[in-house]
Amino acid sequence: MSHAEAIQSTHHTAGLRLNRLHKSFKGDEVLHDINLDVEAGEFVVFVGPSGCGKSTLLRLIAGLEETTAGDIFIGDDDVTERDPSDRGIAMVFQTYALYPHMSVADNMGFGLRAARHPKQEIADKVNEAAQILHLTDLLQRRPSQLSGGQRQRVAIGRAIVRDPDVFLFDEPLSNLDAELRVEMRLEIARLHRQLGNTMIYVTHDQTEAMTLASRIVVLRAGCIEQVGTPADLYSDPDNVFVAGFIGSPAMNFFDAELVENGRLRLGEHTIAGPRLDNPPSAGTGVTLGIRPVHLQPVQGDVAGLQFRVEFIEYLGDNSCLHGALDNGARCRIEAPRGIAIRLGETLLVSAEVADMRLFDQQEQRLR
Amino acid sequence: MPDVQSHPLPSAAPTPRRRRRRGWHGLLYTLPALALVVVFFLIPLGMTVWMSLHNWPLLGNARWIGLANYTRLWNDASFWNALLFTAQYTIVSTIGLLGLALALALMVQHQGRATGLYRTVWFLPVVTGFASASLLWAWLSNVDAGLFSPLAQRIGLTEGRFNLLADFDTAFWSVTVMVVWKMAGFYMIILMSGLQAIPGDYQEAARIDGASALQRFLWITVPLIRQPFALALIMCVAGSMLAFDQFYIILNGGPRNQTVTAVYKIFNESFVSFRLGYGAALSVILLLILMVLSIIQLRLLRDRGES
Repeated sequence: MSHAEAIQSTHHTAGLRLNRLHKSFKGDEVLHDINLDVEAGEFVVFVGPSGCGKSTLLRLIAGLEETTAGDIFIGDDDVTERDPSDRGIAMVFQTYALYPHMSVADNMGFGLRAARHPKQEIADKVNEAAQILHLTDLLQRRPSQLSGGQRQRVAIGRAIVRDPDVFLFDEPLSNLDAELRVEMRLEIARLHRQLGNTMIYVTHDQTEAMTLASRIVVLRAGCIEQVGTPADLYSDPDNVFVAGFIGSPAMNFFDAELVENGRLRLGEHTIAGPRLDNPPSAGTGVTLGIRPVHLQPVQGDVAGLQFRVEFIEYLGDNSCLHGALDNGARCRIEAPRGIAIRLGETLLVSAEVADMRLFDQQEQRLR
Repeated sequence: MPDVQSHPLPSAAPTPRRRRRRGWHGLLYTLPALALVVVFFLIPLGMTVWMSLHNWPLLGNARWIGLANYTRLWNDASFWNALLFTAQYTIVSTIGLLGLALALALMVQHQGRATGLYRTVWFLPVVTGFASASLLWAWLSNVDAGLFSPLAQRIGLTEGRFNLLADFDTAFWSVTVMVVWKMAGFYMIILMSGLQAIPGDYQEAARIDGASALQRFLWITVPLIRQPFALALIMCVAGSMLAFDQFYIILNGGPRNQTVTAVYKIFNESFVSFRLGYGAALSVILLLILMVLSIIQLRLLRDRGES
């Protein structure tokens, strides 16, 4: 895309560094000691349940909230006390925040107009961004005359025109319907590949995080739980929270006890457990985590767990079975198509040792 | 499922259903309001127009004189002077009222304990009646027994006692200040509700876009409070064009009949000189002028292209 290249050639992208960041509202600390390094050009997604502080963190980076303590660096510049407009950022809001009394073109050119750029230059930049986002035919419309997806694109266009070092997205897709969300997700991914800017993206949707991110930052209650690539977080979670939050349907957790030879006791059954570098002593209580997709019905004389099927969600290629183990623990498994399963039936299920994750009593990973 | 037939007789026409008529319900609910409008607005309006075509003394028979009241009005300098003074007062008080109201609204638009107190304090004068506020002001402005003149003398602003109400300029400004003090809180509330309806995201997006506080005010806030501003403007202009109490109570139309407003003139013709027909004709003209003014304001402040 020549337009994207034209824009790309004029801007320099920059990384982002958060150093011991704290934020309090009226004495309530909502972000505790956040440290994060983002490489130039990375797509980093902040994900977590509502109230975890991810939007506040984004607003601190944007400069819309004042930092209580700590430093924010964009590129090599300490921007902690700078105005939002002097940080080299652009932000796309959840509500789009398009000015309703201005045309699409005026919305997109607003920042340049405020900075008193020449009219011709504003028009050129707006047209470039409009071509990237296929908005050229809509430039004279008002926001109220656009569909949700078009408004979203205009909001992104307004960000592109600012030619920022870092793009900030605050749950940009949560107001769209499911189909459009998938479409816009792809479009944002494509845009990142074209422009190559650093992007910080906030969402509570772990699917969005998994599909878009080069790295994911999982937040809970104002703390970073884990930072890593989607594959890292999925296969090598640091704690119970990350293991349960990433992946859908969510991971199963069972109370278990370590017995000798790295084996695990669940209720009356004893099964082989994963090999640990520093195994705790036998008799220690642990939490065993297995993803539904890794628990499979098995036939014959194999060591396994008894699983009673209580509810079946038919999903086409596979089915999600909800039920309980014989020791009463709730459990879900993802059964492939082609296995006949009846409600109330008891199955023998088993998982590969490599797919099991163990956590200690403090919910931290045992490796 | 062979036993289930969705169409028992495919050839038969579907059962026609009676359309439920609910139109008269709506009429029923609006009747009380409609009755009020008819009894207290439309009938008096018709009577006023009817009276304006008569020579209508307080006692004795009314006499049909056609448009004579209107031709007389055309040449009545005192009426046009009263209208001119009313227009002057309207311009000054509207600028003062809406300017102050907007400034106050900008101050109290956000939540907070202190702003709640300020809102209450600024709104308090609104709940006093115009007559009582005027009486209070008349006393405060009294040259001997009041507050302003003795106070000004006490702190050395004036040599002796200065009579605020003896001179047109000071009298006019003192009444205008009273009206602004009394009514600014009301328009503050209207404009504040408009300001609060602007999503905070717009201001934040504009901050990120690098717009200064002044640019954000002129390019975001002002266009988006157009509608509540139009409402405040129309109410303010109509209220000022109909000003009467304050000039009657504080100034009695003086000094030298220079502060007789249009309604004051109508009052004088109707209830002092008892020329009810002529007063009615003046009222009709004032109503027409107000209608034209309101239409012009609505057109000027109409939203273009939105919604």
